[in-house]
Amino acid sequence: MRFGIGAAVAALAVLAGVPSLASGGQSQEPVATPAPRRVTAGAEVSLVAGPIDDEAFFNFTDYEHNALRVARIRVMGEWRVAPRFSILGEARSENGDGVQVPAFYGRWQPWARHDFTVQAGVIPPVIGAYPRRAYGRDNVVIGSPLSYQYLTSLRPDALPATVDDLLRMRGRGWQPSYPIGSKAITTGVPVVATSRWDTGVEANWRRGPIEMAGAVTLGAPATPVVRDPSDGLQYSGRVGAWLPGAITLGVSAARGAWINRSVLNLYPENERDRNKETVVGVDAEAGVGPWLVRAEWIHASFTLPFLTTPAPDHLSTDSGFAEARYRFHPRWQVAGRVEHLGFSQVSGTINSGLPTSWDAPVERVEGVLGFRAMKNLEVRAGYQYNWRDGGRVHERGYPTALVLFWF
Amino acid sequence: MPGVLPRLSVVACGLLLLAAAPQSLEGTIRGRVQLAAVPRAAGRPAIAELSASTADPIDRRHCVVYLKSAPREAFGQLRTSRVRMDQRGEQFVPHLLAITAGTFVEFPNSDTTFHNVFSLVRGSNGFDLGRYPPGRTGGHKFDTPGIVPVSCDIHSHMSAYILVFSHPFFAVTDDDGRYSIAGVPPGSYTLVIWSELGHADNKEISLGAGETVEVDFRVTR
Repeated sequence: MRFGIGAAVAALAVLAGVPSLASGGQSQEPVATPAPRRVTAGAEVSLVAGPIDDEAFFNFTDYEHNALRVARIRVMGEWRVAPRFSILGEARSENGDGVQVPAFYGRWQPWARHDFTVQAGVIPPVIGAYPRRAYGRDNVVIGSPLSYQYLTSLRPDALPATVDDLLRMRGRGWQPSYPIGSKAITTGVPVVATSRWDTGVEANWRRGPIEMAGAVTLGAPATPVVRDPSDGLQYSGRVGAWLPGAITLGVSAARGAWINRSVLNLYPENERDRNKETVVGVDAEAGVGPWLVRAEWIHASFTLPFLTTPAPDHLSTDSGFAEARYRFHPRWQVAGRVEHLGFSQVSGTINSGLPTSWDAPVERVEGVLGFRAMKNLEVRAGYQYNWRDGGRVHERGYPTALVLFWF
Repeated sequence: MPGVLPRLSVVACGLLLLAAAPQSLEGTIRGRVQLAAVPRAAGRPAIAELSASTADPIDRRHCVVYLKSAPREAFGQLRTSRVRMDQRGEQFVPHLLAITAGTFVEFPNSDTTFHNVFSLVRGSNGFDLGRYPPGRTGGHKFDTPGIVPVSCDIHSHMSAYILVFSHPFFAVTDDDGRYSIAGVPPGSYTLVIWSELGHADNKEISLGAGETVEVDFRVTR
């Protein structure tokens, strides 16, 4: 959903100044219980500065923005319509390119005594842990993890006819092209997209140290949508547990149709069900004292039709990262992340028919020094280095800086 | 007159003891604070959460009333102790704490989620307790008089204030806005109120021996 930049600025101004609707008296005697808030709002402004990078495209997103070179405004609001029902939304503008609404949903808690909620609309993803803390200070470094940002060579609107078509696009996820489907110039998809959320219904239940969530949505982990251009629903779920020793563990899985039906319709009917993306993920977090350590691993499998045989049954990826933050002073912190994104092997005629990964594997390391100037103002500087086994640029480093302000 | 002297001695001793007994010279300042300022909404909505927020609302209406200056002897009477600022319902309880310098404040985590208490105030009152799980307690000793804003690094909607004094003549208002500062030596003082909701003019007062003075405030934004 897109609106004009003027609307975004107006929304920011209005929401930033919204007082509590329930507290609208001029004078008030002290009483025992404060009035509940009806409307809450917040905003976040971030400026990430880095090189242009129009050669290697290591940090480009499915919105065709460089994750290391973006000015972003986010405005979040919650309207408590009833004691246990709220409408929540977020408006976001990146680099002044209009306004998107990546989140807009209703949240209902049917029973006051049970931590059970139902959310419907454009809803938070349940896969992994990073997508729910992708922005702002919850991201311990500056860049996004490869699993959630790096553009693979797969496109939902265009497909390779042969394995060789696929291998020719190794390391070209910023602009892959294929003979079947759309000829438009666009990007590939990440393994799991976080820049937009999927549309559907989810339920979450929490009791003690256990949390469970399940969702039925329209898109797929790589291709969340508002209007579904594919056939079939996505089913996703997550189980999380808070373990003794300050450890949080999560297991999540999802399966959905990722290929647009306009492309599948070009194939014989018995091939059209080869359109699923299946994801299994594990995430862990341990935070004690000044340390915060996190790790995630995601295995994803894409099925797609090929016109020639032999063809691979599926294309898979294995990706993961480990990151840590150490706060050595109330104002100062250091953080780092190491990552890997690997792809399964296929055989065509290219490369003498030898098994070759269907996209170029990528490794990444990033280190960041952060300074908390105020409670809600943070400045970071860091360096990120990438290696890729393919594409026209095989390795590249990027100095980066971030200014983040929220209220 | 046998027996008279011993009796006189008993009476004399009794008079001496009475003379030596502490007289109630100290007075009390008390009153009520009326809030004409209303709290604004606070806290960012948890857009990315899978469940509804369980955070309790913050009770911002308590104030601290204190003497701007105190008798010299008051500074030697500081009694340091350990006090508690709990974390429950994703809020600090109490939201406002007034202590004397040297007091150790414990921050127990009584929630079901992690917390990370910190303050960026300059000097020795600044601290970061790091993350700790439910059931654990962190703490910090506040040595310097001043205002210490307290926050949670994980929950940006959590906030609290600790006011650290170099003398014991202060009081936090109760739920009805009432306060009482007892044990104040006779003298002339400036009475000050601190509220995060607004301000009120200082009050000049004169307190006689054993006297109780009523001083009310009205806080406006």
